[in-house]
Amino acid sequence: MKEIKFALYAIKKNIQSSAELRTSFVMNIIGMSINNIVFIVIWGFFIKSVGIINGWTVADIVGLQGFVALCFGIVFSAGAGIRKLADYVASGAFDRFMLSPKNLLVRIATSSFGASAVGDIVFGVVCLVIYAVLIQASIYQILLIISLVIISVIVFLSAALVVYSASFYFTDADAVTKSLFELFLTPSLFHGGAFQGVMRFIFTFVIPSLLVGTLPVEIVRDASLEKLLPVCVLTVLWFIFSIKIFNRAVKKYESSNFMTFGN
Amino acid sequence: MKKIRKSFRLPIKILKTLIKDSIQYPTRIVVDTIAILARCGILLILYWYVFKLSNGVINGTTFIFAAWSIFFYFSFMLLRLRDISRLMMQDIQSGNVEVLFSKPISYLSYRMWWQVGSGLYSFVVITILAAIALGLIIGLPYTMVIGIFIPTLLLTFLCGIVLSLFMYAIVGLLSFWIEDINPVFWIVDKIVMILGGSYLPVALFPPLMKKIALYTPFGASQFVTHTVYESWQTNWYQLVGIQLFWIVLLGLVAYFMFLKAREKVSVNGG
Repeated sequence: MKEIKFALYAIKKNIQSSAELRTSFVMNIIGMSINNIVFIVIWGFFIKSVGIINGWTVADIVGLQGFVALCFGIVFSAGAGIRKLADYVASGAFDRFMLSPKNLLVRIATSSFGASAVGDIVFGVVCLVIYAVLIQASIYQILLIISLVIISVIVFLSAALVVYSASFYFTDADAVTKSLFELFLTPSLFHGGAFQGVMRFIFTFVIPSLLVGTLPVEIVRDASLEKLLPVCVLTVLWFIFSIKIFNRAVKKYESSNFMTFGN
Repeated sequence: MKKIRKSFRLPIKILKTLIKDSIQYPTRIVVDTIAILARCGILLILYWYVFKLSNGVINGTTFIFAAWSIFFYFSFMLLRLRDISRLMMQDIQSGNVEVLFSKPISYLSYRMWWQVGSGLYSFVVITILAAIALGLIIGLPYTMVIGIFIPTLLLTFLCGIVLSLFMYAIVGLLSFWIEDINPVFWIVDKIVMILGGSYLPVALFPPLMKKIALYTPFGASQFVTHTVYESWQTNWYQLVGIQLFWIVLLGLVAYFMFLKAREKVSVNGG
């Protein structure tokens, strides 16, 4: 409870700090929202040219982009510090987190705020509302969307943690973690219906890209509890795995000792 | 002759230094390989499946043409020319631009050569290896083995480099007037992504989108993706002409923006 209170306080302060540069803050949010529309346009034209694949319509693409953008927005707005982990480790700034009496992970995650990721949240919410309208969602499906957002956020956070834990293992960690994260994020934005067979297996169990958007959309569309249960189990497993990986990775840290106790 | 040699001394020095630097950090090539696998590799597998579902033909195009077109887009992206915008923003925000302005070199050309050099090694190595792999796996379309292909590919590729550098340099120069160019960068970058034929190959574009891609600088900077199609053999000179038109226009815009931007800078020393 104490840690949550601290996290909320840190997030509030980060938002206030980001909002100081008002024009930049608003431009970032609007820019990111426009930026995200591109994926809907691309896959919309794709469906127009290719036709419906495995039952995936434009509405499902809107839902997919909504889920992914919302997860990205929630994790990397409030927890933007995770993305800076490579930089913290390389510069020695990680020392100050180690010395903090607060929970290490919470302290790192809330050390920074991503203003542009708020644009993802706005975009994600709008997309999911449009999605619910387009599929004429029942109350049951709306509840499914809300609970699947929570599940997807946990998976997204877990994947981000696993990827950014690599910061402790590589010297050129910034580039490595960015590429690994790309390997996770890019497939999550692709047309979900095109993932079948081996590809579906790999991007569900080995790299959890489909757990973030594709599978939630299919669960909502089919209102399927059968698919929901394995997704919940996988989410719990990924979360436990990510915490373990992170704790193990932290032990690899050696202070660069740049005398950076401040900022 | 001496003058020409002198003007090429700086670019050659920059390219040499950056290639040596890239060779010193082999992880970067691994990183770029992962990035191209994540985007292009997975996309090609998905398209292979989609074409199979559509009996091998979509919009009159077969998988082999679409695959090479997508590959050319992502290979071109390995040059990381778009990063020039952010580097310029960093220079301006950090004040480094003052230092660079005080040197006897042109800031714009220095940044452009730097950008070309920073991605060149990865581009050459990964493109050669990936092209061989792709050729062995799916083969080459007949349009890629006719005589006109290589010279026109090189021509449009070079024009694409210059055009991309001018376009993204203009975005970068905006940093002199607005504090954060990221939103502008994202929008320009994503328009290039759509019209360049990244996730959706140009052959699958609807007619209106195809026209927009042809006549705007965003699409023109990626004409390298058009080279694999049959239509390239008959209209390549038109497309290269469009590229040249945008190069001249955006080059002038970048030049005059730069002149205006210089007036805004005050070097205070320190």
